[in-house]
Amino acid sequence: MAKIGVFICHCGENIASKVDCTKLAAAIGEHPGVAVSVEYKYFCSEPGQESVKKAIRDNNLTGVIIAACSPRMHEATFRKVCAEAGLNPYLCEIANIREQCSWVHTDKEMATEKAMDITRSMIEKVKRNNKLQPIEVPVTRRALVIGGGIAGIQAALDIANAGQEVVLVEREPSLGGHMSQLSETFPTLDCSQCIMTPRMVEAAQHPKIRLLTYAEVEHVDGFIGNFKVKIRMKSRYVDINTCTGCGDCMTKCPVKKISSEFDCGLGKRTAIYTPFAQSVPNIPVIDKASCIYFKNGKCKTCMKSCQINAINFDLQDEFIDLDVGAIVVATGFQVQNTAGYGEYGYGKYPDVITGLQFERLATASGPTSGKILRPSDGKEPETVVFIQCAGSRDPSKGVHYCSKICCMYTAKHAMLYAHKVHHGKTHIFYMDIRAGGKGYDEFTRRAIEEDDASYVRGRVSKVWLENGKLMVRGVDTLLGRPVTIAADMVVLATAMVPQPNAKEFAKTIGIAYDEYGYYNEAHLKLRPVESSTAGVFLAGACQSPKDIPDSVAQASASASKVLALFSKEKLEREPVVATTNEATCAGCWGCVLACPYNAIEQKDILDRSGRIIKRVASVNPGLCQGCGTCVTFCRSNSIDLAGFTDKQIFAEVMAL
Amino acid sequence: MSELFEPKIIAFVCTYCTYAGADLAGTSRLKYAPNVRIIRLPCTGRISPMFILKALQKGADGVLVSGCHPGDCHFTHGNYHARRRWMVFRSLLDFMGIQPERVIFSWISAAEGGKFADLINTVTEDIRKLGPFDQYKELIRETEAPATL
Amino acid sequence: MITQEKYRSKAKKLLAEGSVKMVIGYSPGSTPDRRRPVFIRSFDEADQLVLDSNCIANLSGYLVSEGLLSDEKHVAIFLRPDGIRSINILAAESQLNVDQIIIFGFDTNGNEVRALTGEHAGEFSEFIGSIKEHPPEKSRDPLLYQIEQMNPQERFAFWKDEFSRCIKCYACRQACPMCYCRRCIVDSNQPQWINTSSHTLGNFEWNVVRAFHLAGRCVGCGNCDRACPVNIPLRLINSRMAEEVLDSFDHFAGLNPAQEPVLASFKKDDSETFIL
Repeated sequence: MAKIGVFICHCGENIASKVDCTKLAAAIGEHPGVAVSVEYKYFCSEPGQESVKKAIRDNNLTGVIIAACSPRMHEATFRKVCAEAGLNPYLCEIANIREQCSWVHTDKEMATEKAMDITRSMIEKVKRNNKLQPIEVPVTRRALVIGGGIAGIQAALDIANAGQEVVLVEREPSLGGHMSQLSETFPTLDCSQCIMTPRMVEAAQHPKIRLLTYAEVEHVDGFIGNFKVKIRMKSRYVDINTCTGCGDCMTKCPVKKISSEFDCGLGKRTAIYTPFAQSVPNIPVIDKASCIYFKNGKCKTCMKSCQINAINFDLQDEFIDLDVGAIVVATGFQVQNTAGYGEYGYGKYPDVITGLQFERLATASGPTSGKILRPSDGKEPETVVFIQCAGSRDPSKGVHYCSKICCMYTAKHAMLYAHKVHHGKTHIFYMDIRAGGKGYDEFTRRAIEEDDASYVRGRVSKVWLENGKLMVRGVDTLLGRPVTIAADMVVLATAMVPQPNAKEFAKTIGIAYDEYGYYNEAHLKLRPVESSTAGVFLAGACQSPKDIPDSVAQASASASKVLALFSKEKLEREPVVATTNEATCAGCWGCVLACPYNAIEQKDILDRSGRIIKRVASVNPGLCQGCGTCVTFCRSNSIDLAGFTDKQIFAEVMAL
Repeated sequence: MSELFEPKIIAFVCTYCTYAGADLAGTSRLKYAPNVRIIRLPCTGRISPMFILKALQKGADGVLVSGCHPGDCHFTHGNYHARRRWMVFRSLLDFMGIQPERVIFSWISAAEGGKFADLINTVTEDIRKLGPFDQYKELIRETEAPATL
Repeated sequence: MITQEKYRSKAKKLLAEGSVKMVIGYSPGSTPDRRRPVFIRSFDEADQLVLDSNCIANLSGYLVSEGLLSDEKHVAIFLRPDGIRSINILAAESQLNVDQIIIFGFDTNGNEVRALTGEHAGEFSEFIGSIKEHPPEKSRDPLLYQIEQMNPQERFAFWKDEFSRCIKCYACRQACPMCYCRRCIVDSNQPQWINTSSHTLGNFEWNVVRAFHLAGRCVGCGNCDRACPVNIPLRLINSRMAEEVLDSFDHFAGLNPAQEPVLASFKKDDSETFIL
C-alpha cells in the first residue's frame, strides 16, 4: 500500500502568493495513498529538509513528492534527502508548481487548481516508481589511442604522464602522421620536425605507453570501461626486437625507385624502407608489393646484408587482444584527391602540386633538401601561384566546408618561398582570408606586407601550359576584371577530407559520423571531444578540419576525459536506462537502428542443449543514455525506460 | 457575459529543451494561460503516439508536443525520429477526423521562454475557438467501462 | 492455365528433388470463386495447386509461422507483387531469411495470369521499383477522395460509424503478414494502452494504433480488409498511410530486402512544415 508524503513549499511568497498552499495541502491530503500532506515556507532550508527526513522515517513513506520549484533546481537535493532518510532516492519526484505555475499565472484560483493537477499527476507517477540503483560499471584503467599523429601522441602522453597505461596504435610504420611531413609551422615558423620528433621519441620511450606501429584496430567490442579490442600487427618481415635500425638493408635494396608516400611522390624510396629518416621506431618494413623476393622468390639482398639476421620473410601478421577502458580516436585526415580539378591541370602538369607537396619541397630533410625546385625540371620557380580553396567550400566538388588550415599554410608557403627565393614572386587567389587564431591575422599580414605576397580575390578558372609557362586564368573580383598570370609553379590548397576508410572504421568502433565521414561529437558545443558512444573520445582532424594547436588542445581535452573516467575503479551511471522484455520481443531490430548510441545488441536465447531458440534485443546499460527512442519505436511494447516507464507516464496522464 | 470555455490541454515535452524553456518562462515571470498540464519526458524520442491518444481519452481538448530544435537534441537523434513519427501520426489523425489544430507540435529550446509563453497562449486561444472536443468525449462516454489504470 | 501448369510442375520438381520442404499455394475453396491456402509437402499433393485470378490472398504471413523456417530448409510460395514486397519487409525486419524462400511470382490482369520472372526476392527489386515509379492506374480507391472531401467532423463521424461495427475479433491482425509480434500491444495490460472493450473508443484506438504500426510497412494486399467480418474499409487507412510515407519520405514499403524501416530511420532534412 502506497504511503506517499507530499511536501508543499511556499518558497517564501514565490509560490504561496499565487497558489493557495493550505487549500492545496488539504485537497492533496484526500488523494488516495497520500499519508502526509504538509506545507512549509522553505523545504530546501535545513529545517525543511530535516522535516522531510523525519516524516519519511515516522511514517515509513513509500514515496515523496516535493511540490516546489523545478526539478532542474532541487531534484538532486531532495533525492539526497530521501536517501539520507533511508528511502530509495528514485522514489522522490518533484511537482513543479513554481516555474510552471505560480510564476506564470495571475489568477490564484486557476493557479491553485493547476498546482493540484500537477501534484496529483506526480503522486500517481511516484506510486509506480521503482527503486533504482545507480549502475556500476567496472573500469579497465588502460586507454587505447588510435592514430600516432600529433593528436594521438599528445593524448597518449597526457594520459601516460598521469600514470595510466596507454596503448598507442599507428597503422603506418612510424609515428608522426601528417605533422611530420610539414616544413615549418604557422604562425611561429618553427620547424615541424624539431618540435614533433622529441614528442615521438618521448611517446615511444614512455614506460606507460605501449607503442604498436604498423598495426591496425580490427575489431572493437564492449562498452565504456570494458572494451575488448583486437589489433592486427602487420608483418614488417623485420624482427622489431632484434633490428638495430642501422639501415644497411635499405642501402643494399636493389629496388630504389618506388615513389615515396611520405614525400607525396616527390622522392623515392626502396622496397625495404622507413618512411623518413627520423622514423619512430627506426625499424624498416618490407613493402611486399614492390619487393623482388615476394614477386619472384629471388633476391633476399636485404637479408644477406643484415648482420644480425633480423629479416625474416616468413613472418606473419599477428593479433593482439586487449582490454581497455577508454578509446581515443585520432585517426586524422587525408588531402583531397585533386583529380576532380581537371581545369587546374593537376596530374597533367608536374609543376601543379598540392600544398602538402610544397611542404615536402620546403622541408630541409625533404627530397630537395629544402630548396624550392620544380618537379618537372628541377629549376627554381620565379613566379608561384597559389590557389586557395582548391576543393574546400566548393559544393560542386562535394566539399561544402572550409578546411580551416589552408589560408594559413598558403600564407606560410608564400613566406617560406620569399625567404628562399628572394627574387621570386607569389600570387595567391583566395575567396576570403580566414585567419582567426592567436597570431594568425598578424601572420597573414606579414606575408602580404613584409614578404610581398600578392593576394588576388577571386577564383581560378583554368590552368594551361603555354611556352613552358603555366598560364593561370582567374578573376580579380575586387577590380572586376579577368587576370592571367604566367607562373612557373602552381600550388593548390587542396581540401582536408576524412580518411578514405573513415566510415568503415567508424562502424568498427561503433561511433557516428557525418555525411563526409568526419566523426560526430556527442554535442557540438558542450561535449565536443566525446563521441556519441560513451567511453570513446575524439581528437584531431578525424572530427573536423583542425590545425595543430586545435588538434593538440582537443587531444589534451580527450585525455582529461579519459583520466576522469579512470579516476574511479567503478563508474556510476544514472539508472535511467532501457530494458527489454525478452519474452515478447519480436526481434525486428528497429530499436537497434533507432538507438543513437548503439546500445542495443542482439542476444541469443538458448535452450538447455545450447540451441538458439530465438534472438531478442538486449540493452547494454553501460551504453544506454536513457532517451527512450527505442521504447517508442517498439510495436510490441517490449522495451521500457526506467524512471519514465509506460506505467508511470500512463498514470500521470490519467491523473489529469 | 457567457462563461468562457476553458480548454484542457496536455503537453508532452522533453526535459532538456522545452521543459527548460518553460522553466525560463517562469524565471522570467512571463504570464500565460493556465490551461496546459505538462508531462516531462527525457526526450521527444520517448513521446509515443499512444500518449496523445491517452491524453484525448482523458478528455483533453488539445495536445501539445514539443522538444529540442533539429540538431539540438541532447540525445543527438531523438527529435529526428520523433519528427518522422509525428509527420505520419498527424496525417493519420487528420484522416481519422481529428483536426491537426488539436494536436500541435513545436520546437522550443531552453532559451525560448518567450516562445513557450506565446505558444501556450496561442494554442489555448486556438483551441478555445475550436471548442470542446465533443466528438471524442462522446466516444469516451459511450464506452461503459471508465478508463482504468 | 499455362502458368498454373508451369508452377505445378515446378512445385513437383522442387518437392521431388527435395530442394523445398513445402510449397505454399492456393487450392479450390468453398465456392467456385474462392481459393484457400494449401500447404503442399509432397510430390503427389501438388496437383491440388490452383492458380487463377481468384488467387488474391497474400500468403506471405504463413512464412513466419513459428518454427517453419527455423530448420533452414527452403519453402516455395505463390506471391503476387504485393506478397513479394511483404517478404522483403519481413526480411528487412529480420523475420525471415529470403534465401530460404523460392518465389512463384505471378500477377493478374482481368482473368489473365502471368508468371513473374525471378525466383528469389532480390531478383524482383527492379520490378517492384517500377511499380513504385508507375503505380497501376485507377489504383486509388474513390472512397479516399470522398473522405478527403469531408470536413473533420464528418470524417470523424464516418470512422466512428465504421468502427462502431468492430467486434475486436482481431481478424485484421491475424490476416496481416506484418502482424507477427509475439505479443500484440493490444494484449499488453500493464498498463493497458488500448481499451479492449469493443466500444467505439477502444475500437477507435485499436484501429488508429494498428494503422500507425503499419505505416511504411503496409503493401496494400487487402488481407485485413477481406478478413474483416463487418466490412470496415481498413485498406483505406493503410493506403492513406502508404501515400503519406511515400510523399513525405519517398518510402515505398518492401522495395528490397535491405530497406531500412521508415520509422526507425530519418533524414536530417525531413519535412517539418507542420512544426511550430
